[in-house]
Amino acid sequence: MLGKLMKYEWKATWKLLLSANLLTVVMTGLARWMVYLMDKAPYSSDFQMMDFVAVMVLFTYVASMFAVYVGTAIYLIHRFYTSTYGDQGYLLHTLPVDTHHIIIAKMLVSVLWVMMNSLIIYFSVIFLFATSTEIVKSMMEGLVDTLEYLGAEKVSVFMVIMTITAYIFTLFAKVLKVGACISLGQLSSNHKLMLSFAWYVGIYIVESMLQGVYFAIRAAVHSQVSPMNYLSGFGTDWETTLISGIFSCVIFYILTWYVMNRKLNLD
Amino acid sequence: MAPVVQCMGLTKTYGRKIALNQVYLNLERGRIIGLLGPNGSGKTTLIKIMNGLLKPTAGEVLINGQRPGIDTKMRISYLPERTYLQPGMKVLELVQYFQDFYPDFRVDRAFDMLARLQIPPQERLKNLSKGTKEKVQLIMVMSRDADLYILDEPIAGVDPAARDYILHTIVSNYNRCGSILLSTHLISDVENILDEVVFIKYGSIVLQAGAEQIRRNERKSVDQFFREVFAC
Repeated sequence: MLGKLMKYEWKATWKLLLSANLLTVVMTGLARWMVYLMDKAPYSSDFQMMDFVAVMVLFTYVASMFAVYVGTAIYLIHRFYTSTYGDQGYLLHTLPVDTHHIIIAKMLVSVLWVMMNSLIIYFSVIFLFATSTEIVKSMMEGLVDTLEYLGAEKVSVFMVIMTITAYIFTLFAKVLKVGACISLGQLSSNHKLMLSFAWYVGIYIVESMLQGVYFAIRAAVHSQVSPMNYLSGFGTDWETTLISGIFSCVIFYILTWYVMNRKLNLD
Repeated sequence: MAPVVQCMGLTKTYGRKIALNQVYLNLERGRIIGLLGPNGSGKTTLIKIMNGLLKPTAGEVLINGQRPGIDTKMRISYLPERTYLQPGMKVLELVQYFQDFYPDFRVDRAFDMLARLQIPPQERLKNLSKGTKEKVQLIMVMSRDADLYILDEPIAGVDPAARDYILHTIVSNYNRCGSILLSTHLISDVENILDEVVFIKYGSIVLQAGAEQIRRNERKSVDQFFREVFAC
């Protein structure tokens, strides 16, 4: 049944979200074309019509990236709420399917969209600014330098793979956190959405506190590094991200499953 | 054979408010049962618990001898009192959806009913009127060969002509080995199709009897008797 649930989850989301992602691709093409025209245009100290158009296109490009990223998140949250705890939940929760399958199907499809979104934005930025092979080379060198600065002695393939894995788990944790907060909000008879938001804020505060304590301890142990570096987030290595990601996934998954399976309370 | 539904001391509270109070109820197979009570009497709460959409505060309900779960959902065909359809779906996609998840779904029966109502399978649900959406939902529910059909207020908010169609659809399509639990407060419209009635008041069962038995013993229709029992 998991495959069928995923199929219908995908069918319910693909049209809108794919269109949004296509918009980012089109905007990238437009912005890239504008950068090309600006490069080719003869230098002039006056602000011309061409400059105005370029500024507008680049501004629209940035705004559309932001809108698509935030819009995708809002749409997926709305979709989760209405299809699970809204009117459509009456159909979903009377299907002869396991609660685990419901959570996994929604989680996988949501993560897939967020990941696709992030990748498109990432490659879009590279495509926009990589106007020559020299620039691409310097961008890659900059990335390696940053990774090395963040803690690794030398960047290896293993480290890159593990960093990507840690990022994917973090993504799963973020999606599951939203699901868990919406589910926990259902434990109340009234003001369910407000309570969901309160849960999110509460969990965010607890996470930040735990993170702060962890960084402070690490800074104390590795005394050669300034505690401020850790507190500002620069001390995060892939091991920490991976472990905290997996831990968060497990906690939020269990919370969501518990509410759906043991405390379901559809109005 | 065990009753299709067994409620044992079923209680549901919302804070201090008692929605169901120590409900003991057995529903036999092969019968059309009216769950009758005024608004707020606990009908929908009882139905939601049977479907696993609500968890009881105390007591338990068994469907075919099992607690609500995957197996019972496989055997119950449920029509809620609200529209649970995805607006962007086409009618045809909805048929496929039910076919995918319910092994007892009869596609030919669904298309037959849709054709009789002249509902185009390619039409999107958001383009249909509220009444037509409700009929589509009823068609999906009645196209299954379930052990128990639970219909929550299927005729509320529809015109008299549509009520006749809905009741006709229910009576002519249900699995004869199964039972129908039909919740309503519009007694006169459904009285003729009921084998048995359950009166529910303030979350408690106040009467469970055969419809014919009420007419014979009380010398009045179920509707008249209901008005007496629930007089304000």
